[in-house]
Amino acid sequence: MKMMLTIIFRLTVSCLIAGTIMGATFIFTNKAKKVNEFAREEKVVYSLLGYSTANPIPESMGMHEVFRYVVTEGDSQTIGYLVPLGAHGSDAGFSFVRINLEGEYVDNTDIALTADSVRDLGDRNAAIAAAFGDGKDIRFADQTIIVTDHGQRTAYLLSGKFPGFKTHIAIILALDPGYSIIGFEVMEHEEDPGLGAEIEQDYFKNQFKYKPFEKIKTLEVVKAPIPDDYFDALEGRIDEAAAIDVMKQYRDQDIYALTGATISSVAVSSGIKGMSKKFAYRLDILDKVLQEQQIAVPF
Amino acid sequence: MANKKSNFQLVANGILQENPIFKLALSMCPAVGISTTVMNGVMLGIAVLFVQVFSSVTISLLKDFIHPRIRIPTYTLTIATWVTVIDLSLAAYFPAAYAQMGIFVKIIVAFAIITMRLEMFASKEPITASFWDGIGMGLGFLVGMVAIGFIRELLGSGAILGHDVLGFKPLLFFILPSAGFFVVGLMMGFFNWIETYYARRKRGEA
Amino acid sequence: MNQPKYLSFFVLVFFVLGLAGFAPAADLVVDTDFGAENQIVVSFRAAVDKAEMADAARYSVFEESDPDIRLTVTSVALSDDGRQATLSFAEPLNTTKTHIVMTKDIGGIEQTSSPVSKSYFGYLLSILISALLINNFVFTKYLGLCVFFGTSKRKQTAKGMGVVFTIVIVVAVSMSWVLFQYVLKPFKLDYLQIVVFIGLTSLTVQAVDTVLRKVNPILFKSFGVYLVLVIANCVIIAVPLLMASNEYNFFETFMLSLGAGGGFLLALYLMSSVSERVELAKVPPSFKGLPIAFIVAGQFAMAFLGFSGLELF
Repeated sequence: MKMMLTIIFRLTVSCLIAGTIMGATFIFTNKAKKVNEFAREEKVVYSLLGYSTANPIPESMGMHEVFRYVVTEGDSQTIGYLVPLGAHGSDAGFSFVRINLEGEYVDNTDIALTADSVRDLGDRNAAIAAAFGDGKDIRFADQTIIVTDHGQRTAYLLSGKFPGFKTHIAIILALDPGYSIIGFEVMEHEEDPGLGAEIEQDYFKNQFKYKPFEKIKTLEVVKAPIPDDYFDALEGRIDEAAAIDVMKQYRDQDIYALTGATISSVAVSSGIKGMSKKFAYRLDILDKVLQEQQIAVPF
Repeated sequence: MANKKSNFQLVANGILQENPIFKLALSMCPAVGISTTVMNGVMLGIAVLFVQVFSSVTISLLKDFIHPRIRIPTYTLTIATWVTVIDLSLAAYFPAAYAQMGIFVKIIVAFAIITMRLEMFASKEPITASFWDGIGMGLGFLVGMVAIGFIRELLGSGAILGHDVLGFKPLLFFILPSAGFFVVGLMMGFFNWIETYYARRKRGEA
Repeated sequence: MNQPKYLSFFVLVFFVLGLAGFAPAADLVVDTDFGAENQIVVSFRAAVDKAEMADAARYSVFEESDPDIRLTVTSVALSDDGRQATLSFAEPLNTTKTHIVMTKDIGGIEQTSSPVSKSYFGYLLSILISALLINNFVFTKYLGLCVFFGTSKRKQTAKGMGVVFTIVIVVAVSMSWVLFQYVLKPFKLDYLQIVVFIGLTSLTVQAVDTVLRKVNPILFKSFGVYLVLVIANCVIIAVPLLMASNEYNFFETFMLSLGAGGGFLLALYLMSSVSERVELAKVPPSFKGLPIAFIVAGQFAMAFLGFSGLELF
């Protein structure tokens, strides 16, 4: 009996010590993890827009985050957009604008959030639920960054996830104000190395650059080898101005598939097609509503 | 059994005579699974080294406190704690490299090698000996992983540590997952052959 | 005094009439299903006005997660008996997502709403097949190798190890799921996953050991020795981790663990069959034992690559 008690006692003590060590490590590393994740996304975003450490972003540039939610109340559903208010640079708070499924304005609620706390999923959801949520199911859908320079829109950055050949592929897509593609980066994927993983290579990603919105809406994938001059331009083997010329020549062509990875190529192209079309549709509605309701936003 | 080896001998033992991957044939899962690049090998090797050393030292410190009937659960608890610590740290400070390794860092907890080492060595030997033995085993694992990773990365993508060395990709096959089996099998066979060769020479000369 | 009776009678009539208004709305459409690549087939309870049924404007289809994006119905084809309408779409449908089909003003019913998704049972089976073949834990994920090479020399040992492993993994992972859903997640203790899962596995092994010893000592004699090896198997910790990161529900977890155990058994059995033959073959001395086993396993791994991308459901 005494042995049993000693065992239990010692085991409990060990568990407690182990738990403390792990808990402390968790608290310590969690902050670092969030910072690193955010830094990585920021780096990708800047490089998509053409900036880097050598060419930093100008002061006049603003990145405004719009978060989309789906609100379900019993049988009816509305789409809610969490938009920042005021002019660029001012921290005038956020507003949750609701639009019904037919594209008509429903209502808007002011939400108490700061520019920092809005980035954290937990804080954001809590603030929205507090201001608004009784009895409603509010689900986060996706987020978009609208980039402005001197108040004029220069780019849209969309993050999206879609099924790939293996599991899923997550990307950040950059569109210009006319919804043509500026570029995209693959954030996560589990494709096969050497086959599907080649979607991260320049000669695949750069094929999407400069494609106009009209072409994106009907984008297909062809199983043919990439012409040599196009390949050189995509991989950056010729000087930049000439490369851009060549790439623009192929603007209205379909995407050349990766060798041995047709399904992954189709997955990425369909994913981008879907993301762009849905975004264009939704942004038009949101702009119309914001203008009708005279809601002042920095973009 | 407790012949007093010097600390250096303990470390060398871990790398050569009792190399976890090639000699003891334990913890082979990562050797096959993620040894596609040298970087992966280094990162996982460091993780295993960390867990092995800290677990050995902890158990050696607590060897009088542990009741013999619950020693296996205690080992498991210790290893799991340190694996959680290194897993959280790697995820926070090296996210890109950590993403490459998938769940293999968490799987360190199931490595038979660490538990066996604790059972056979750390629970009986003093702290410094356990420390150096842990380093030896960890380094042995690291060396093994790097060796396999070196061959696979060089022959598969023509690069080492991400730097293009050959300028072309000899055989994509080597970085495809199933090649891990072949490379490890061939290397093991090779090591065996070297050993028998030297043993024969020694016998021939003696 | 009669008033309460009348009142309740009227309420009852109102209620029934009200129900009658709602009930057939659910009954008008009896089934919805995905057809060919960009089609949805809607089955009606009875043939209603053909003109109404074939009017594409009366159908509203969207993905459940994107209710504001309406998919364009390009055409509606009616079946011969007039009870099925096949809706065709411009773009291929993403059948992995649940779609909703809403009809408006067909057959006198103002509105109906029906979900369209691939069968859930099919989904469960696909998890099982994935863990068994496509993502076989030994040949595709390279886990559990130490135990694998140790017990794949004879068919007997292989079968014993495989069966014991499957039983332990199903029990242990189910318990892990319970603890994960009801303790770790609500209290935000996700970082304790590793400790909790491996702890539960040890407990299960211990429990099975004790139970088997008492209940069936003969069985214990033949299988008991494998129990200890279960803990050293990487798969046993990989499966709960996979369950946690994919947030499976109980049935999906059960299928996953069954598939994982079954896949391990399959791998062991295949390997042991070859192993027994290899022992009789002429293998170079430095390759005898483990090295040749690795090479055989590599060939199996290449073969299993062929399952990649398999989609049965």
